[in-house]
Amino acid sequence: MTSQRGIVSVTVMESLPLMVPKPLAIILLVVITMVVVLYFIRRGSHTRGNSIMLVGISDAGKTAILSTLVYGQTLSSHASLQTNTCILPLNKKGVTLVDIPGHPRIRAQFREHLPDAKVIVFVVDASSISRNGSIVAEYLHQILHAVVTILPSQNPPAILILAHKCDLLKSGTVPSTSSLGQLATNRVRNVLERELEKRRQSHTRSVAIDELGADGEDSSELGGLDCNGPPGESFKFVEWEGGVIEFIGTWVSIGEKVDLENEKSGNGSNDGLKDLMTWLETHI
Amino acid sequence: MLDHCSIVHKGGIVLWSRSFTPEASQLTSSSSSPVNSLIRDALIEGRVAEEKYEKGGYAVKWTFVNDLELIFVVAYQRILQLTYVDDLLGALKIVFVELFQPFLAAFVASLHAISSSAVVLSMTEATRWNFENALEGWDIAFDKLLKGLENKAAEDRKLRLRPAARPPPTPSPGSSDVDLLPTESQPGTVDEQQIARNVEALKNRLRGRGGTRAPGRGRTRKDPRNGRDSHPNSDSDVAIKHKQKGKVLRRWGDELPSESEMASLDFSYEKLSDQDHHPASNDLEALVDEASRGIRNKDGLYEVRDWEFTNDKAADDVIARALSGSYKESKPAQGSLGTLGSLFARFTGSKVLSEDDLKPVLEGMKQHLMKKNVAKDIAEKVCEGVGESLVGRKVGGFQTTYATVRLALSNSITHILTPKTSTDLLFSIRAKLMSPLTSAQQRMPYSITFVGVNGVGKSTNLSKVCFWLIQNGFRVLIAACDTFRSGAVEQLRVHVRNLSMLSVGGAGDSEGRVELYERGYGKDAAGIAKEAIAYGRDNGFDVVLIDTAGRMQDNEPLMRALAKLVSVNNPDKILFVGEALVGNEAVDQLTKFDRALRDFSGAGTAVAKGRGIDGMLVTKWDTVDDKVGAALSMTYVTGQPIVFVGTGQTYTDLRQLRVANVVEAILSD
Ligand SMILES: Nc1nc2c(ncn2[C@@H]2O[C@H](COP(=O)(O)OP(=O)(O)OP(=O)(O)O)[C@@H](O)[C@H]2O)c(=O)[nH]1
Ligand SMILES: [Mg+2]
Repeated sequence: MTSQRGIVSVTVMESLPLMVPKPLAIILLVVITMVVVLYFIRRGSHTRGNSIMLVGISDAGKTAILSTLVYGQTLSSHASLQTNTCILPLNKKGVTLVDIPGHPRIRAQFREHLPDAKVIVFVVDASSISRNGSIVAEYLHQILHAVVTILPSQNPPAILILAHKCDLLKSGTVPSTSSLGQLATNRVRNVLERELEKRRQSHTRSVAIDELGADGEDSSELGGLDCNGPPGESFKFVEWEGGVIEFIGTWVSIGEKVDLENEKSGNGSNDGLKDLMTWLETHI
Repeated sequence: MLDHCSIVHKGGIVLWSRSFTPEASQLTSSSSSPVNSLIRDALIEGRVAEEKYEKGGYAVKWTFVNDLELIFVVAYQRILQLTYVDDLLGALKIVFVELFQPFLAAFVASLHAISSSAVVLSMTEATRWNFENALEGWDIAFDKLLKGLENKAAEDRKLRLRPAARPPPTPSPGSSDVDLLPTESQPGTVDEQQIARNVEALKNRLRGRGGTRAPGRGRTRKDPRNGRDSHPNSDSDVAIKHKQKGKVLRRWGDELPSESEMASLDFSYEKLSDQDHHPASNDLEALVDEASRGIRNKDGLYEVRDWEFTNDKAADDVIARALSGSYKESKPAQGSLGTLGSLFARFTGSKVLSEDDLKPVLEGMKQHLMKKNVAKDIAEKVCEGVGESLVGRKVGGFQTTYATVRLALSNSITHILTPKTSTDLLFSIRAKLMSPLTSAQQRMPYSITFVGVNGVGKSTNLSKVCFWLIQNGFRVLIAACDTFRSGAVEQLRVHVRNLSMLSVGGAGDSEGRVELYERGYGKDAAGIAKEAIAYGRDNGFDVVLIDTAGRMQDNEPLMRALAKLVSVNNPDKILFVGEALVGNEAVDQLTKFDRALRDFSGAGTAVAKGRGIDGMLVTKWDTVDDKVGAALSMTYVTGQPIVFVGTGQTYTDLRQLRVANVVEAILSD
């Protein structure tokens, strides 16, 4: 039986070129060349390893920042359903700016964009950090873990934590904007260090349950929170083993147009993102 | 009366919005706005196919324009019966897209910088993006549309109330849901006369331009291009086949713009592409080159003028036709290349997915899901949602419809299965145990209640969870609150004996690591649970696991009793235990458990609001091979994560779900 079938298929194979009419063969050839050409064009258009990735929980203000930087005006926004990828002119280049939605069900997309990221900007709503501390820390933990587990052959991205929405911090004495930023970054840093310390302690003591189909190697264990400080000390960003984490305070005002040119030269009225721009210019 | 209307991009940017009441406008600026809630609770969760969404007294309806990634959202008071909302959404969509197509396309391209970098680079200059100018004229167009439809609705209502007194002047009642033009010859309020005048003025203008409009203000006005009598029929056919949303969607997508519009739109297209070629295609330096910026700025000015021009001339035409429903379906013309061309198009992509393309593929996917034991309702809804988000989208490259649908389905299932809250149980237990207390407070143990129907393996899997908690150094108290089924308490006693023996062998100091709290049979379960928690608190237990009697979801007295247990004790977690074998039943079980808990546990207790299920434990996972559809059904119904899966008979046969793994199993052939 089997040998017979083999013979049949051989004869079919032999007669195949005869069955294909010439014009069709030519079309086939053209199509194949197009496939190849298009494939290379598509690949070529990717700019690798030079992008800025905005992450952070939903409602942190990522899309607001993106629209301010890219369109020069802060458009109002709602929860994002999908990733935005824009080109931002920076240092006389076009740099890709990626805004990953913060909703827990779709935020995992950050993993796809991580290999391209030169800079990770973790946006935190400074006005609600006391309330949301633990969920913000959970996301930040995932990010830090992902960064630590990047292959050593690749350069890890620089990490910036934005204490965003500084304008919403109201303290009694109406301090100047610069000290508002200071206030916001301090608050965000303190809350996150406390929450990350909780997570670190819990995870070092845990026996995790295996995941389905996981075989020891790639376990669900979340690490990435080790510090270089003296043993027994609690989590400190400055001592994080994975690299340098910086903090900047920012804000935008919805509906306002920003003249980015003036802002760069320092005489704009809305300078909520000025520090961010300066930081990005030195890190891209 | 509408409360709010917005036009938003899927990436989060609001292109246009308007609130009609002060409350609504206050609400929209907060993160709990109806639009935000819609996106978070319905769209991201894959509940795209549902008719409407309700939140905080508002009813929210929406529609997609997939190739431009736009969502049109309307919110209104739930108690109102606004009949024209579907029509309004449909008309908004048509007019908005037609008026601003080039701008919208450029905007969307700018948010996908990678896929079309050449176009985008020329766009990035901030000064070019003037959203107010670009969308100029929309406010007026919106007003006209809304007014037209509101008047029409009012008219219909009046006619319905007094059918004998004033018979409808237009003798085509069958087309009433399609023909949205205000009945012009109806004498009545000032508003109607106003509208009639507007329409007349519109027609005059159109006549002046096109010259083909039928003259006069005849009641049986005919559309110039197709007999008006004919298209309502075809449209209402569609309406019967499909709901309003889908119908309108189809209309605009396949619509052929009139010549005049084509001309005006093409004109701006050319402008746009002229500009696109201006900077030396990919040259990044050109982006900041001062000389070329000047030129482009000038172009920008020209473009603005073009836009005004376009709006002025075409807007009214488009609005009038949207209102009169004269957008008819027609297939896009075949390219002059004929068969070869279409073959080419098929290979090189840029095909627009139509409902007809999608239907067979989606049907196949639905069958496939059901074969994988996904409940029928859920399979239907998930596939419908996928379809909804794909209709009208262009598929590029060499993707087939099948591959596109499969990818979208895979994404959708992944989103549904991915937890939206943390599933790290150990962390939440530790957080509760470590939380600071005031001196008057006593440390309460973390309590988990296991609920479910009979015979799904509640006690067995409770023991597995217990084993794992002991391994993690917690002291665990098991509360035997199944006071119903004989043998239930004894079963737990055996487990506790086994577990305490195991823990002696295992993690070091095991003095009283696990204990059973039982009060025999026939007593009130809620009371026993309360005593158990108090006992646990006084004796330094970290966790109390509450075993409840299995019950059928339709047994209301028992469901009430369960709700009472929940409301009296307010456990930290309520885990629903269900079998992986369950098929269509899954929906009914979970819906009813969830609803009963919410409805009955809220009433007059310390718990402010009724609580539902917090998560699921899926048992007998090892018996279903790759038919793991129950996982999808369960997560879709509750919106809650699967915290554990049980994979066997021993204490270590407890696993955590890995989403990618389940998605793969569900999609595998
Ligand atoms: N007061 C104030 N509000 C801000 C600021 N930045 C953003 N917002 C508001 O915060 C809300 C959320 O901002 P988004 O940018 O949409 O949030 P997001 O981070 O993109 O959220 P997701 O897309 O859901 O992940 C919007 O209503 C913004 O108007 C700020 O600096 N100050
Ligand atoms: Mg966003």
